Amino acid sequence: MRREHADSPPALALRLLGALLPPAERESFVGDLVEEFHAARLPRLGRARARRWFWRETLAAVATLRPTARVPHAPSRAGDPLVLSFLADLRHGARLLRRAPAFTLLATLTLGLGIGGATAIYSVVNPVLLRALPYPDAERLVTLWERGADGSPTNVGFATFADVAAGARSLEHAAVVGDWQPTLSGAGDAERLGGARVTWGYFRTLGVRPAIGRDFVAAEDAPGEQRVVLLTHALWRRRFDADSAVVGRALSLDGVPHVVAGVLPADFDNVLAPNAQIFRVLGYAATQEWACRSCRHLRMVARLRPDVTREAAAAELNAVSARLVAEHPTDYAAAGVHVVPLRDQVTRAVRPVLLAVLGAVGLVLLIAAANVANLQLARAMRRDGEFAVRAALGAGRVRLARQLLAEGLLLAVLGGAGGLVVARLALPALVRRLPESLPRLAAVRLDGDALAVATAVTLLLGVMIGLVPALHGGRASVFDTLRGATPLAGPGRHAARAGLVVSEVALALMLLAGAGLLSRSLLRLLSVDVGFDPSGLLTLQTQATGPAYTRAADVYANHDRLRAAVLAVPGVVGAAVATQLPLTGNMDAFGIEARDRPLANPELAPSAERYVVTPDFLRTMRIPLLRGRGISDADARDSAQKVVVVSAALAAALWPGEDAVGRQVRLGGPTAPWRLVVGVAGNIRHGGLDADAGRQVYVPERQWMWADDQVTLVVRARGDAAAIAPAVRRAVLSVDPGQPVTRLATMEQIVAASTAQRRLALLLFAAFAAVALLLAAAGIYGVLAGSVTERTREIGLRSALGAAPRDILAMVLLQGARLALAGLALGLAGALALGRFLGALLYAVEPTDPGTLAAVVALLALVALFACLLPARRALRVDPMTALRTE
Amino acid sequence: MLGELEQVVLLSILRVGDEAYGVPILGEIERQTARSLTLATVYKTLARLEDKGLVASRTGDPTPQRGGRRKRYYALTADGRRALRESLAALRRMTRGLQVGWDHP
Repeated sequence: MRREHADSPPALALRLLGALLPPAERESFVGDLVEEFHAARLPRLGRARARRWFWRETLAAVATLRPTARVPHAPSRAGDPLVLSFLADLRHGARLLRRAPAFTLLATLTLGLGIGGATAIYSVVNPVLLRALPYPDAERLVTLWERGADGSPTNVGFATFADVAAGARSLEHAAVVGDWQPTLSGAGDAERLGGARVTWGYFRTLGVRPAIGRDFVAAEDAPGEQRVVLLTHALWRRRFDADSAVVGRALSLDGVPHVVAGVLPADFDNVLAPNAQIFRVLGYAATQEWACRSCRHLRMVARLRPDVTREAAAAELNAVSARLVAEHPTDYAAAGVHVVPLRDQVTRAVRPVLLAVLGAVGLVLLIAAANVANLQLARAMRRDGEFAVRAALGAGRVRLARQLLAEGLLLAVLGGAGGLVVARLALPALVRRLPESLPRLAAVRLDGDALAVATAVTLLLGVMIGLVPALHGGRASVFDTLRGATPLAGPGRHAARAGLVVSEVALALMLLAGAGLLSRSLLRLLSVDVGFDPSGLLTLQTQATGPAYTRAADVYANHDRLRAAVLAVPGVVGAAVATQLPLTGNMDAFGIEARDRPLANPELAPSAERYVVTPDFLRTMRIPLLRGRGISDADARDSAQKVVVVSAALAAALWPGEDAVGRQVRLGGPTAPWRLVVGVAGNIRHGGLDADAGRQVYVPERQWMWADDQVTLVVRARGDAAAIAPAVRRAVLSVDPGQPVTRLATMEQIVAASTAQRRLALLLFAAFAAVALLLAAAGIYGVLAGSVTERTREIGLRSALGAAPRDILAMVLLQGARLALAGLALGLAGALALGRFLGALLYAVEPTDPGTLAAVVALLALVALFACLLPARRALRVDPMTALRTE
Repeated sequence: MLGELEQVVLLSILRVGDEAYGVPILGEIERQTARSLTLATVYKTLARLEDKGLVASRTGDPTPQRGGRRKRYYALTADGRRALRESLAALRRMTRGLQVGWDHP
């Protein structure tokens, strides 16, 4: 997150100084500070203490150099009494706040939490959702998707891309991206890299040029050409010591030499595949088997011509698509192209979470403001004496209101400073919890935008906090107050406080409802039956690369050795190899044709996730076998009858209500063999806990058309899966030290990670709701306590006239209950109205879920009751004689 | 009569001489009085002295050590010298006649 050099003064402090110091002193003062930092403090104190010193100096400078701002000597002195007297108001306010340290601290803390939370969340939302992507004319970048049988966007096949790119005039550049995870060997340990295969125009499409070396050229992007790669700046620094001589050198990737064409700029952020560290040309030709129209495994990105709107482009691309469908009717499920702006595409997954959290933090901010305004109002009421004296000495109402406004601004500025500290502390913690795949994560930091928002929020809060008591504070009669009488009641002024408390309760209820809905949703999600037994399962990815594994038989033999080595580890009771895993984001699906249900267009066949596995996969995962048999060792021979096991959902899609065992299916196109269905397995959740139970097809690995070299090893432990992880890793490396071990994780960790975003949203909502609950309770308590104090005389009078303690208690509780009930009613309405914004984050829970809403209403009512009890007890202890004597 | 900080800052400017900008002014005070001030305090005092016409400042050259920021040099004006002299003389008068050891501030 931090870009500054380790031995430089804190960048945030420098920014603060730049923004807050008067221009007359800024340059020389900051220069002096920086010089002193480098020349004296850094060598004498060391890095950490020198930076602390710099911060102390910064805060002192902001505090002392700013307010005086050399106004007294300025020539405008006589002409600007308003500014001068407002400065006096500020000074007076500062004195008052210093005299009430408990109140000041409480208000600063409350506002600091609100402003800090808002600033931190905004710092994430701004680069991720709001700011343009880091490419020139980024608004012209779009992603293009084919239309699936159900109208949903799907990846594109290479032949389709080539036709669209050649035929569409509205596209300036277009490119496709495929996954690539090469193993880098040679200097140092073998390492699996995140990478991407791209057509040669990919970086031209994005508008990015390599910082060193050259971009790909068209001639290189063909089968059999020399293989060239581009490195990200980070990989270049980490693995090649930032040596520019690496350009032109050959690297061994998957045991094959690749030439480095160049290095991408340091600030290049590849939003389409944030984990990619290395890029190579795709090298397809439309005639290749895997470049076919129905081989949809590529993602397409394009840059629109400057004069073309997205609608016009979509219209043209739809026409191109219709032509292609007419020419190749059996290769497409539907005509049409989805044109999605690149930014919408990369932020789609996180947008609901971030917007919900931003809304939640906004509510917290409002509650904090209401709370502090309430405290200020209470103070203003206690300061009737002071105001009366000032009014008697000739201060007008406006003058008194301005005093309160000044104090509100001071409090807000204190809160804003506290908020910056909170944001600085909270942001790294927040970033750690965000998914690593989040686009633009590297750009998340407390920058000028965030500071500007924090400042704006601070000023707005200051005005709010100042105006509420100013509008309601100056109404006491000067005469009565100076005479020393306490009015029997002050309904108009109390209405303002009551209104604030009611809104606090309402806002708190809305946040609680959100937290309640999210937690119920998460509980439902975690109790979803995934279809296999995740406990005691360890998983890892590995890859057989290099000249030793050129034949498929070598790869299979390696898998056998891997399983044998892992099974020999103490505590391991099962091991299997598979091409993909559920809940990990793998999306390897094939259309499944049934031999007895021929389709005119095979593209309309139901698709299923392809699991190419070793025989004991179902047993190791504990996926139940519902009918027939599983895959056995006898199926492993290449010559045997080709067999598959299908999931119940796939069987139901192909042969509704009939037995699937004994029928034949085909996957992989018209040239692929027919395979016999020998068993039906239970469905597993492949795409996510919240996705439908998917359709799967299990194929014995020796019967598949090629050997997948990148595979997942699943290991069942007798006890704790994490405990055997080191031994399993050693076992894998003992088979071949050159094969990388990546993504070593227990299945339970994978299940947990698949809900990470929901957990984050829940965590933030719960934290915000807890703060809101506390503030709302404090608000109710404050109003009632203040009211009991003011009504001491009245209460004393009542008990002297014979009111029972029960009546007094009821009187106070009733007052509290009225506030709480009004707040709850308002909050409930608000929760119902806002609930739909949470809809995208909820699973199997309606935003209006009555159980959840009832529970949070009950919780808040209970807390409100406790907040009422303390002042009520004090009211009971009022001694009638003392109360009456004070008059 | 000048405030104590004002005296100390004026004296420090005199002691440092031609190279009197923020860093050495602060350094000289810290060395001679063994008290640590913030740079902001020194600047605030300098601003006050300049407002009173007791010091004058000019802008100097930037150096790389300061991230290219220019220095601001301070020197006493004639008024400044007079005010300092009078202030110190007043202090001396105030100590005269007190017990031994107090008459040389």
